Amino acid sequence: MEEKIELKKNQNQILVKINPKLYPLEAVYGACYVFLDKAYVFLDGDPKKEIKVFLKGKEKLTSQELEGLAGEFSNELLNYALRNEISKRNQKIREYIVGQALFFANPEEFEEDKSFEEDPLGIAIPWEEKHTTKKKTKRTNKKKK
Amino acid sequence: MIVKFNKNFYNSSAVKSAIKSYQGLADFSLKENQKFITVYLKNIDRNFKHIIKDEFCNFVLGETIKWRTKL
Repeated sequence: MEEKIELKKNQNQILVKINPKLYPLEAVYGACYVFLDKAYVFLDGDPKKEIKVFLKGKEKLTSQELEGLAGEFSNELLNYALRNEISKRNQKIREYIVGQALFFANPEEFEEDKSFEEDPLGIAIPWEEKHTTKKKTKRTNKKKK
Repeated sequence: MIVKFNKNFYNSSAVKSAIKSYQGLADFSLKENQKFITVYLKNIDRNFKHIIKDEFCNFVLGETIKWRTKL
């Protein structure tokens, strides 16, 4: 087990040491945020080597209760680490889904600009088409003469 | 009373925001170096003396996490 637990009974607190290579800092923050209501949480250490999380009971806790608190924290940590990983993997598909949802919510905003279809200067007419018709008319005029 | 926040985990604007919220309960002063943000608490309200440090730390952590998720 990569996380280590250190009980400090007389201070009513327990120290959880976390390997940041297994659990990213974002996951640690996520788990800490959940625990702000349950315990006093304090962070220290080195985010590249070892993250230290101090969990202190809001009321007087027994050794077993403190260990239970650390266990719950570890579970929450794992939960957030997994969430983080899934969120990274699914980022593109999430962006695509949100994009689609926005498109169907208000498609007018995303409608293509079709003003080019009007072509008042006749730019879209092929060169051959423009000039062969003129030559043909000239030849027919000559024959008539 | 002294609280030392590791700058690798805590944000200084979160500490300042927490001081603003807690200034009615004590006199705060702040010092910052490369590694730590040190907060000194004096003239602490008698009713909160036993919990102010822990509650303040929780508040700072909460603010730091909120600040990080805003980015």
